[in-house]
Amino acid sequence: MAERIIYLDNAATSFPKPEIVHETVRDFYSQNGVNPGRTGCDLAINAEQMIHETRKQFSAFFNRSLIESGKEKDPNRLVFTMNATMSLNLIINGMIGPGDHVVTSMLEHNSVIRPVNHKVREGAEATYVVPDAEGYLDPEDIRKAIKRNTRLVIINHASNVTGVVQDLNSIGAICREEGVPFAVDTAQSAGVLPIDMTECHIDFLSFTGHKGLFGPTGTGGICVADDAEIRGTIYGGTGVRSAVPYHLEEYPYRLEAGTQNLAGIAGLNAGLTWVENKGLNTIYAHEMSLFEILQNGLSDIPGVTLWGTQNLDRRVATLSMTVNHYDASDVGTILDVDYGIQTRTGLHCAPLIHQHLGSVPRGTVRFSVGPFNTVEQIRTAIRAVAEIASDRP
Amino acid sequence: MKIGDKSIDFDKDGFMVNPGLWDEQIARAIAGDEGIEEMTEQHWAIVNFIRNYWLEHDLAPAVRLICSDVGVGVRQIYKLFTSGPARGACRVAGLPKPDGCV
Repeated sequence: MAERIIYLDNAATSFPKPEIVHETVRDFYSQNGVNPGRTGCDLAINAEQMIHETRKQFSAFFNRSLIESGKEKDPNRLVFTMNATMSLNLIINGMIGPGDHVVTSMLEHNSVIRPVNHKVREGAEATYVVPDAEGYLDPEDIRKAIKRNTRLVIINHASNVTGVVQDLNSIGAICREEGVPFAVDTAQSAGVLPIDMTECHIDFLSFTGHKGLFGPTGTGGICVADDAEIRGTIYGGTGVRSAVPYHLEEYPYRLEAGTQNLAGIAGLNAGLTWVENKGLNTIYAHEMSLFEILQNGLSDIPGVTLWGTQNLDRRVATLSMTVNHYDASDVGTILDVDYGIQTRTGLHCAPLIHQHLGSVPRGTVRFSVGPFNTVEQIRTAIRAVAEIASDRP
Repeated sequence: MKIGDKSIDFDKDGFMVNPGLWDEQIARAIAGDEGIEEMTEQHWAIVNFIRNYWLEHDLAPAVRLICSDVGVGVRQIYKLFTSGPARGACRVAGLPKPDGCV
């Protein structure tokens, strides 16, 4: 099946995964799979060691400048979750209560919008900062939105609809000046763009494992800055100090409970290792070179509209388009069935940015390039869209 | 809406609220609402495939499956049901509104 399709839905999940990830996950339970713990049998200790090494790996990945300056980053503040949605829920639930104010944006995914709206329903307030016509946030608009009761600024680094990338350095600096914790959703950028928590003053970095980090689904996490504070909102077994009646406050337990997705974390380790060996810049350059061909090709087709910025700077390799006289879902269906091209249609769980762009109610066709795509595949996709656009229903 | 001797309710998107009441007369009525003047053999082949699949699996078939099983191209489906396989053909087949990511 994989050979017959042209997969251009990497914003949903990266596919295929590198072979090392397949091997790691496939072989995991034949060699490991025992519940980790600092005490217990050797296999449990080995499992714990694997998880601890992965915490260190990710802590360093998101804090390069700190590590290179000779300082240490507490790896226990790298907590694992099952996905970015869970990470973002933990952040929002742990920082926002009734009477608190949160600043976010119209570019967010429902994994931010919905928990924020639930907090508003429970008595919090929210400001959704409006981006410009291309989708870029003005950091000063975030400053203007901050109030005395603002407890969190939470922003997505790269849009899953238009691919625009926000200026985390400037936004983080403002949050630090204003004394407001800064959370970043890196679902579309971790493993794609360099992200440094120290340089960008990020307090909580949410990541997913199965997109740019090439891990399995069911993985993700939060990197919590060493000086950041957050309430724990998940309670249960920790494998240590079982007699304590309340959930443990220290990390990683503060934001973790229960048995981890061990094979997933092993796969995530393999995925990040692959990314680091390949090089972020190499992967990004490849994706953007294909993206430029795609964007140029689609923009030349009569009847095709590209939504959001067409800048090649400050973006990831994702774009949204529509074809005149077609519903977006119909274009996606024809691309899939007639050409084997996999895209994602609709509102992409990000309704507010679609409202801002004007692509509601039916949304757009999203193309998202990955490192395993080729020039030939991109040219095929362009031809397919051209044929669809010229064959009006 | 009264169709034959049945009182049929539709949701805001025009899908049957109670799919169990579907019959061919209702299919023709919905087809008329879709702008289909007369249901051809190809229309029925698609509708019956979708209906039977839904009865067996409790969900709408993938478009690729409709194409391969019925022997019709996806663009032909759009010509037969201008609202498309999900919104058009599934409606005529009396399915509830298919889950799809919008």
